Amino acid sequence: MNIVLRPAAVIMSLSLAAAVLSGCSEQAAGGNDTAAGGEAACEPSAVRLVGQVRNESNPYEASWLAGGDAFAKSVGLTQERLTYDGDSTKQQEQISQILAGDTKCLVMNVLPNGDSDTAPIVKGADQAGAYLVTQWNKPADLKPADYKTWLSHITYNGVESGQQIGDALATAIGGSGGIIALQGVLDTAAAKDRFAGLQKSLEKNTGVKLLDQQAANFSRAEALTVTKTLLTKHGDKVKGIWAANDDMALGALEALQQAGLAGKVAVVGIDAVPDAVTAVKNGTMTATVSSDGSWQGGVGLAIGFCAATGKLKVEEIAKDNRAFFAEQFLITKDNAGEFAAPKTNPADFECGNVFNRVAGPLT
Amino acid sequence: MTSEVVNAPRRQSRRGASFRDAGPPVALIVVFLVFAALSPQFRSLDNVANIVDAAAVLAVVTCGITFVLMMGSIDLSAAGVMGASALTVSLLVANNRNDNDFGLLGIAVAVLLGCAFGCLSGLALVLLKVPSFMATLGMSAVGLGVATLMFAGVQPNISDTMVKGLAIERFLGLSYLTWIAAGCVLVGWLVQRYTRLGRYAFAIGGAEEVLALSGVKVKPYKVAVFTLAGAFYGLAGVMVTSQLGAGLVQAGDGYDFSAITAAVVGGTLLTGGRGGIGHSAVGVLLVMVLTNGLVQVGVSPYWQGGVEGLIVVAAVAAAVIPQRRRNQVVK
Repeated sequence: MNIVLRPAAVIMSLSLAAAVLSGCSEQAAGGNDTAAGGEAACEPSAVRLVGQVRNESNPYEASWLAGGDAFAKSVGLTQERLTYDGDSTKQQEQISQILAGDTKCLVMNVLPNGDSDTAPIVKGADQAGAYLVTQWNKPADLKPADYKTWLSHITYNGVESGQQIGDALATAIGGSGGIIALQGVLDTAAAKDRFAGLQKSLEKNTGVKLLDQQAANFSRAEALTVTKTLLTKHGDKVKGIWAANDDMALGALEALQQAGLAGKVAVVGIDAVPDAVTAVKNGTMTATVSSDGSWQGGVGLAIGFCAATGKLKVEEIAKDNRAFFAEQFLITKDNAGEFAAPKTNPADFECGNVFNRVAGPLT
Repeated sequence: MTSEVVNAPRRQSRRGASFRDAGPPVALIVVFLVFAALSPQFRSLDNVANIVDAAAVLAVVTCGITFVLMMGSIDLSAAGVMGASALTVSLLVANNRNDNDFGLLGIAVAVLLGCAFGCLSGLALVLLKVPSFMATLGMSAVGLGVATLMFAGVQPNISDTMVKGLAIERFLGLSYLTWIAAGCVLVGWLVQRYTRLGRYAFAIGGAEEVLALSGVKVKPYKVAVFTLAGAFYGLAGVMVTSQLGAGLVQAGDGYDFSAITAAVVGGTLLTGGRGGIGHSAVGVLLVMVLTNGLVQVGVSPYWQGGVEGLIVVAAVAAAVIPQRRRNQVVK
């Protein structure tokens, strides 16, 4: 038995050692590339644009990729669209596959699945010298300013958006009355921040009373069930529904319709998915907040493209622009028409304008 | 000698049948009474109707999964099949994406699509010998893939008044969807009780080898059971679409495991050969009473998930107490 196994073991350990060695040398080679890639500007036509999001099965991320396509088209390139189905492992695999190819003029606009997924992506891109823009998720202690090719991290202030729609809801119900809150997945930063925003709004609007808050996990179907239950629990004391995203707001609207309360209860959400914007336009929903997904999809690539082609010097990007809260827009009946169709403005993606929507540094 | 060994436990179990089956219904009644005592809103007629309405989709999915579980297989394809069926129906009835307006025919196509997915799972199981766990998990991914392709970046919202009306219009205080679910449970029970398909599903779960040795061709029945389950998932996808007023790729999110939970809580064993539609229906109600009751009595959302899990485990433990002395191996 042992005699048979031994050669196999030797071969295996040899190949393992070989794999480790080749891994090291690859990394070293990548490291050398960084220096070259950082200094020599790329031809615009040689730039490779990659946009990566969770999936194409929700309108927000679909509009993100559409925005990326729009930008790529404007510079005569095409965007490689990657989706990883909300699976962290799959995301890392896709990133390492991309980084295994030619990375000299590579630009990536990435939505990390969670905070912890950002570090390996940043490390990989840094070693390979690929230009990277991340959005939404990153651990607080990981800072783009410490890296050469991690150009920027874009996110949105959830406290602010939660408060904005909370205030809009308070106004809609005339400043007094009971509301219920539908929270997102409780252990996500987005859910926590947005709910903190609601609480801030409640401190200001003293006439509004939070009757109940339940988690509906950002899901339209769960929001439907939870809202129906809460409506039977609190009856006509419910004057308004605050939802931490639009999917839940839309689920709540269905619940209201099924309970025969359509139009009698104000509903607000966040994200500005197309259906919600339509609902705001029709007056069935009171307000939502837009982060402008198509802008996010375009601007991430634009920042990278400008850096890769030398029009934007990494060292010259202001520190506050390396990690920032981007401007978000409260959509009410008055301005819903402008947001009805996700569209991009080419001027936003010009190298001088890519940081025009900085609302404040990410602290 | 052999027949004695087989006969003895069977006779014993038949004698204990009524006692053993009483566990889940008793748990349902106890949980209901506890919540009713704690919350006046919970025991209101409105809320009871709300619970039954909320149970509709889960009941239909559980009907499908119960047949598969009775057979001793497992089925994780519900999420994908429901997603595909939801997108299919929302694109075939009047909607904002195209000019289709097939009405009932659209629903029928979605259910048939569910059948097709189920049939494929079954064929993968019997012809390719892929374990049902993997075959159905794969089929779920295929279903989600098909749904994503049909989704194509723009959510189809339905404007078909008939389909939307199923969730909104009421008959005797309950939505039409609830009556459809009740019909499914009845059909499921009749199939289980009076057709060869239902009887064989039980027998396959109990002792497939014995059945095969006695000359029954089990393979076609296995495929048929998966196909039947697929039809139920297809219908459930249509029901979710009606409730949400839109075709969502995530229409079936979480229903696969909720349905298995409901079936097991109701007394349908994962090892097969035991339980049935009636058990599962009780399980569905138990799960729905629990989720509704925890909100009604005001348990903090931060606690709910954990509390719900604990009660489910306790309910299953209580339900299987009578079986514990049977020396059964639990895996």
